[in-house]
Amino acid sequence: MKEAIKETLEFLKRKKVEYADIRQIHRVTENIEVKNGNIEGISCDEDQGFGIRIIANGAWGFASSSVLSPAEMKRVANKALEIAKASSIIKKELARLSPTEVFEDQYISKYEIDPFKVPLEEKIELLLKATELLRKNDKIKVAEGSMDFHKTEKLFASTEGAFIRQSILESGAGILATAVNGNEVQRRCYPNSHRGDYATRGYEFIQGLNLAENADRVREEAIELLSAPACPDKDTTLIITGSQMALQVHESCGHPTELDRVLGTEVSLAGSSFMTLDKLNKLKYGSGKVSITADATLEGGLGSFGYDDEGVKAQRVELVKNGIFVGYLTSRETARVLNQKSNGTMRAEGWNRIPLIRMTNINLEPGEWELDNLIADTKDGFLLDMNKSWSIDDKRLNFQFGVEAAWEIKDGKKGRMHKNAVYTGITPEFWNSCDAVCNRNHWHVWGLPNCGKGEPMQTMHVAHGAAPARFRNVKVGVSR
Amino acid sequence: MIGKEKILEILNSVLKKSEADQSEALYIGGESGLTRYANSYIHQNVSEHNSKVFFRVALGKKIGVCSTNSFKKDDLLKTLSSAQQIASHQRENPDFPGIPDKQKSVKLKTYFKKTADFSPIQRAEIVKNICDEATKQKLTVAGSFSTGQSEIAVLSSHGLSAYQPLTSASINLVAMSDDSSGYAEGLNRDVSLIDFEELTQTAIQKCLDSKKPKGIEPGEYDVILEPAAVGNLLEWLCTIGLGAKQYQEGTGFLCGKMGKKIMSENFTLLDDGTDESGVPFPFDFEGVPKKKVIFIEKGVAKGLVYDSQTAYKDKVKSTGHSLPPPATEGPIPLNLFVRSGDSSLKKMIESLEKGLLVTRFHYINGYLDTKNALMTGMTRDGTFWIENGKVKYGVKNLRFTESMLKAFSNISLISRQRKIAVPWWGDIGAIVTPAMLIKNFKFTGKTEF
Repeated sequence: MKEAIKETLEFLKRKKVEYADIRQIHRVTENIEVKNGNIEGISCDEDQGFGIRIIANGAWGFASSSVLSPAEMKRVANKALEIAKASSIIKKELARLSPTEVFEDQYISKYEIDPFKVPLEEKIELLLKATELLRKNDKIKVAEGSMDFHKTEKLFASTEGAFIRQSILESGAGILATAVNGNEVQRRCYPNSHRGDYATRGYEFIQGLNLAENADRVREEAIELLSAPACPDKDTTLIITGSQMALQVHESCGHPTELDRVLGTEVSLAGSSFMTLDKLNKLKYGSGKVSITADATLEGGLGSFGYDDEGVKAQRVELVKNGIFVGYLTSRETARVLNQKSNGTMRAEGWNRIPLIRMTNINLEPGEWELDNLIADTKDGFLLDMNKSWSIDDKRLNFQFGVEAAWEIKDGKKGRMHKNAVYTGITPEFWNSCDAVCNRNHWHVWGLPNCGKGEPMQTMHVAHGAAPARFRNVKVGVSR
Repeated sequence: MIGKEKILEILNSVLKKSEADQSEALYIGGESGLTRYANSYIHQNVSEHNSKVFFRVALGKKIGVCSTNSFKKDDLLKTLSSAQQIASHQRENPDFPGIPDKQKSVKLKTYFKKTADFSPIQRAEIVKNICDEATKQKLTVAGSFSTGQSEIAVLSSHGLSAYQPLTSASINLVAMSDDSSGYAEGLNRDVSLIDFEELTQTAIQKCLDSKKPKGIEPGEYDVILEPAAVGNLLEWLCTIGLGAKQYQEGTGFLCGKMGKKIMSENFTLLDDGTDESGVPFPFDFEGVPKKKVIFIEKGVAKGLVYDSQTAYKDKVKSTGHSLPPPATEGPIPLNLFVRSGDSSLKKMIESLEKGLLVTRFHYINGYLDTKNALMTGMTRDGTFWIENGKVKYGVKNLRFTESMLKAFSNISLISRQRKIAVPWWGDIGAIVTPAMLIKNFKFTGKTEF
C-alpha cells in the first residue's frame, strides 16, 4: 500500500488541497477474562484500514475504509474531498496548521517478551491461579481477572513529506474480588480498578504485577469492607494513594488542559473547560507542591509513542508548574491560537477515527515525602485507596470520586478500614489544599485504557504518573 | 452495503470449513457519516466504511472467539481457524448451553432509503440552518449530526440465519450564550421524522431562558426530569442491574427484590425491541428474536433480560438480549420504554410550588452502591427554578447523589407524551420515556456555572 499512499497524496495535491495525511493502521488484540474458576472469554481481533484527512478550501474532510486496495483509497480520497466541500458551507475561519518539523522515521516501543508468543495456557494459568486465591472465602461471590494485549502497526504520511512507521505493543492485567453479604456489595481490585494496570511493554510487565502474590490481601480487604463502618460525613484531611491520584489528575487536569475542549469543540458531549485562555500563566491552579507535566516520552507509559497522529514528535511539556497553570495539550491547528507549535498530543483510536487532542502520560511530579512519614505527620484524617466511582461537571470544576477503601488516620497512625468513602470538591480549591506529595519511591505510572472522548466515541489509552498526596479540608462522605 | 444474499453466502462458505462442533458467524458492517459543529461552524466531518465478522466456535463446551474487519474469504478462514485454536486451549464452560437453534424473528422496517442516502452536503445544510437560527439570537451552537446505514447478520451451524439492514440518524445540539446553554436531541431510523426546526428552537429557547443563572444551595427538591434526563438515569440502570448477569452475581439492584414493590405504582419499565415507536431491531447478536421483557410493572420488580448463557443458568429461555461475542458483560436491554402517565410537562410545572426542572444530566456514575442503585451526576444545559407553578429563572448546575430506588419510588406525575432519549448505543436501540415529577430528589453539591 506504500505506493498507493504516495499516489493518493499526489492525487490530492493535484486537487489543490492545502493539506492531506493518510494513516494506515493494523492492530491485533487479545483479551482473556476469567471469572469464578471459569474462562469467561478468550477473544482475538484483527483490525485494519486507513483514513484520509484533508484540508480543502480551508475546511476539514475525513474519510476512511477497511478495504485495503489502491482503488478504494482513490474512492475514499474523493469522499474526503466531498466531505470537505460540505464542511466549507459553514466555515468560520480557514482551517490552518501550525508549522512542524517533517520526519521520515520509525519508532518501536521497547519490550522484552512478546505476549502474543507466550502460550495461551501460561496466561490462562496465571489468571486462574490468582483468582482461585480470591475464591478461598465464600463471601467472595465474584472473583475475576483479565489480561489485554494490543500490537499496533501505524503508518503516517502527509503531503508535507512525512513518512513515519510506528510499532507499539501494550500489555495490561488485573484482578477483582467482589464480596456480597445481603444488601452489601464491596470490592477490591489489584493493581488498579478499570481492568488493572497497563503499559507499553511486553509480557514481562504482566509477570512483574505479581497478581497471585497480592490476591490474599485483596480477598481479605474485600471481606473486611462488608462489616466496615461507613466513612463519616465531614471535612477532613485526606491522603490519597497513587492510583486514585492518577484518576484525579486525569479528570481535573488532563481533560481541562486539552486545548480543543477549551476552544469549545468538545462542548456538546464531554464539555468545555474552566482553564480558559485568559487564565494561562495566571491561574493559581494548585499549591506550590503541585507540578503536572505531559510526557509522551516516558518509557513504558501507556500514553507513550514516537510521534502523534499528525506526525509531531513526542514531547515532555509542563502544564502546571509549582501550582501555576502554564500550558495546554495542543494540536497543530489549536496551537496557532497561542502562536505556538503543537506539543504533539493528537491521537486517534484507530484508522477510522479523526485524531483529537488526547492525554499522553499526564503526571503529578513527585514530591519529597515518604508515605509512612506523611501518615505519621497527619493528626486526623483518612487514607483513601483505589477508584470506585467518578464524576465531574462539564467544565471540570465540581468533582466527586468514590474509592474502594478508606483507613482512618488518628494521631499519625493508620487505623480501621471504612467503606463507601466519597470525596468531593472544586478543582482549583482542591489542588490548592495540597500540602504534600510523596517522593519517587512511591511514584508509579498508572496506565488507563478507557479514556473516552469525541463523536463518534474514541477510547484512548493514556497514563498518569502519581504518588500519594495529602489534601486539607476536603469534604468526604456524601454517598448516603 | 453488501446485501443479504452475498453476506450469508460468504459466511456460509466459511462456516462450512469449520472443524468445530458448533460454529457461529456474526456480521456487522456499513457506512456512516458524522458532522460535528461548534462555535457555529463545522470543525469535524467524517465518514467510515467498515465491517466486523465475529466467529464463535465450540469444541464441546470449550468456546473460542475471534474477529476481523476484513471480509476477504481468506482472512475470514484464517479468523475462523484462530477461533478454533483458541477453543482448543480453553477449559470447558459448564454454563455454555450451545449455540442457539434456528429461530424466526418478526419482520420490522428498520431501513429507510432517505436516511441511507443522506449526504454530507445535506447534513451540512441542516447544520447551517441550526447555526443561522442561533446567530439570529446572538448565540453559538455546538453538536453533532450523524447518519448511517448498516447490516447485521447471524449465521450458525445449527441452522440459524438472521439478517437485517438498518439506518439511523441522530442529532444533538447545545445552544450557548456567555452564561447559559440549552440542549435538544433527536434520534430516528427515518431521518425525515426528526423535526430539526423544533429541536433548534427548543435548544435556543432553553438557552435564552436560563441566562443570568442564579446559584441555589444543594438539598432535597421536587424535580421535573425531562425525557433526556430520565434517559440518562435509565442508561445506568441498564448497566447495574436489568441484565441477568448482575442478578446472578448478586450485585444488581433487583437482587432479592423480585415480586416486591420497589418503586412507585405509576412506574412501569420494559424492553421491547419490536416496538416501532422506538428504534427497533428484531434479534440480538446471537440471532435470537427479541422478546418483550417487563422489569418493573406498576412499581413491582418483575423480570430481567437474558442471553443464551445466563438463560441456561437460570433454566429459562433467552430473551434475545445478547451483546456481540464474547459478551462477558452479559445481556443488557437496548430498547427501553417507560409507560406513559396522564400528565404533561405544563401540568407538572403548574403543580409545583417550588422545585427544579432538569433538561439533562452529565457524567452520571452508578457504581457508588449498585444494590441501592445509588448514582451521582451533574445537571447541564438548562436547569430551571420553578416557583408557584411557573418557570422563574435558570439556576447554576447542581450535583445529585441519589438512590434510584428512592427516586423512582417518589414519582408523583408522569407525562402522557413520550420522547426518544438518545443513549450511547443509539444505532441499535433507544430509550422511549415521558417526563416525570419526582419528589425529594437529593442534590449534594453545586458548581460555579
